[in-house]
Amino acid sequence: MTTASARSPWYQRKQTRDIALVGCFLLPSLAVFFLYRILPLGWNAMLSFQSWSPLKAAKWIGLENYEEMLLDDDVFWDALTNTLIFIGCSPIAIALALGIALLVNSDLKGAAIYRTIVFLSYPLMTVAVGIIWRWLYDVRGGFFNYVLRSTGAIDEPVKFLQSFDWALPCVIAAEFWQVLGFYMIILLTGLQSIPQHLYEAARVDGVPAHARFLRITLPLLRPSIFLCIVVGILNSFTSFDLVYVMTNGGPGHATELLITYIYKAGFGQTRFDYAAALTVVQFLLLVVLTVIANKLSGGNAGSLER
Amino acid sequence: MRRAPTWPRHAIMLAVCLLMLVPFYWVIKTSLTGENIYAWPPSIIPVNPHLFNYVDVWYLIPFPRYLLNSVIVTIMAISGNLLFNTAAGYALTKQFPGKRWIVLLLLSCMLIPFQATIIPAYLITSWLGVLNSWLGIALPMLSTIICIFIFKASFEAVPRSLIDAARVDGLSEWRIVVRILLPLSKPAIATNVILNFIWSWNAFLWPLIVVRSPDMQTLPLGLARFLSVMEDTTGALFAFVVMVLVPGLTIFLMAQKEFIRGLTSGATKG
Amino acid sequence: MNWRRVLLHRFVFVPLALAILVGGWNLYIVYNDDGIIQGVVRDGSGAALAGATVIFFERNSAYFEERKRTITDAKGAYRFTDMQIHIGQLEARTADGRQSQRRLLRLWFRAQNIDVAPLIVR
Repeated sequence: MTTASARSPWYQRKQTRDIALVGCFLLPSLAVFFLYRILPLGWNAMLSFQSWSPLKAAKWIGLENYEEMLLDDDVFWDALTNTLIFIGCSPIAIALALGIALLVNSDLKGAAIYRTIVFLSYPLMTVAVGIIWRWLYDVRGGFFNYVLRSTGAIDEPVKFLQSFDWALPCVIAAEFWQVLGFYMIILLTGLQSIPQHLYEAARVDGVPAHARFLRITLPLLRPSIFLCIVVGILNSFTSFDLVYVMTNGGPGHATELLITYIYKAGFGQTRFDYAAALTVVQFLLLVVLTVIANKLSGGNAGSLER
Repeated sequence: MRRAPTWPRHAIMLAVCLLMLVPFYWVIKTSLTGENIYAWPPSIIPVNPHLFNYVDVWYLIPFPRYLLNSVIVTIMAISGNLLFNTAAGYALTKQFPGKRWIVLLLLSCMLIPFQATIIPAYLITSWLGVLNSWLGIALPMLSTIICIFIFKASFEAVPRSLIDAARVDGLSEWRIVVRILLPLSKPAIATNVILNFIWSWNAFLWPLIVVRSPDMQTLPLGLARFLSVMEDTTGALFAFVVMVLVPGLTIFLMAQKEFIRGLTSGATKG
Repeated sequence: MNWRRVLLHRFVFVPLALAILVGGWNLYIVYNDDGIIQGVVRDGSGAALAGATVIFFERNSAYFEERKRTITDAKGAYRFTDMQIHIGQLEARTADGRQSQRRLLRLWFRAQNIDVAPLIVR
């Protein structure tokens, strides 16, 4: 007991030293996040209510940026629609990936090779993917026109990326190609975590295969599917590279995404204030969609466990 | 027990793989072809194939410079991440007042995609005076929240007794991390290196904003620039694409297992 | 031995192999980049043509442009030195206005030394 009281000041000093140490260890990371996450988010929100450019002093203009965006800006609505279409199409890719994952997951010989090949396109540089697909869609040298024309499906070459109808689906197809392997890997991890005895029990009970899939696989896979959907939503942000290289938003604004429009408004027209307002909308969209996806998957998964 | 034959599944998978590989084949074919690439009809196999497109592109663009920029930025990002994330991850294994708030703050930061902050991030970078520099490109990528938590989880799995024994031996905190915790966290390190490698190696939007002069361009910027500046009818652009893809693909094929594990644990990037 | 296993590990082996390849290639370049382009000019019967003009055309973004010319010696041989190019064309012309076909030259690196196959003037 006497030693404890004698040690007390030393212990005190050790604790302060510990906190100092923790602070030093955390500081660099926190500084990065403060500079590039928190501060920008706040600044961005502030900027969206201002009229500002690098040459002009900031002035509060209230909701004017938002008014312009929502009421007068057709391009914004185009970009918003395209972004939503982009996100809305990701379930197709997830379904495809689920099919592939189911095929690869079973005791198929050479499954590892198939998996590698399907996954091979994911770690590629997106700019390069954009250039490759731009070339595949090319009117003269492109693979698709070549196949379609030589099989006699079409007489005239299709200008895929220059057509208002085809450009967006084409960009989405390229995005699918890149991200499919990633969805597959997430779903495979999910599939492998499903306990095998559930299937065996179901088989013994004579449950048919499609019912096993609907009753066991799908519900237990929900967290993985949720993850895929979140990745799909985030991809609508990161697909900037792809769109920039393949069409740069064109023709017209047929493939404009919010993120490409933000880039154009901010760094093309130097309208930082307006771009900030666009960013706020995009961020809110992301948050809302993620929350909805979370609710959908979380709620259902929870009910199953109960 | 009855078993369905496996050949239909093989057939489907072969078809899928073929489809997935077509873009690779088409770009390699174009990069090797000796004729005008816009000639109709394109041939399936390259016409009088040669490798000179690669030589041409080497002298057409400052490829070594792009490569150097990319490599330096990637190395900066990876080493920054290893250092900062290890430190932060270790700090988070300790108990200290306000820890809950810090964790909460980090978790909510994870929800902010970097792409949603580009405008102020650009202004901040220019205020810091590191626009158009390696540091400026690497700065936002120097620490990643998901990787901090990967390190934290990995460090917490190390038995406490081991750390306490080391402390009794008089090792300093940093020594404990380097000598004891890190050697036991190889998967976490691999994940960290790999995730940051692909993120910084492939980064395009941020370098596009930050970089102004041609000699600071990284490989993806060089590609985009080549696409917009050069008008040519040889396969040089596609030779460039292949040259850009080869380093990443080599690393992927070498570290496939770590790659896939790292990606699934760090799935929600941003 | 342990070092052998380390050496054969793919993360060591592949970069090392690449480094050796690149190093070797660069070494080769260092010893072969004097930019010497040489060859002979012959007529249709295979006899050496002395005094023929050999013109080198350099590729200038899209088209080929004359850059250098030289005259063959008594053995019909010509020699360009210090050619800092990796792509170009060669053509031989005689005083009486006959000329050879243009020969496309593609080199593996800038200023590679090369012996060109005989240029035939018909």
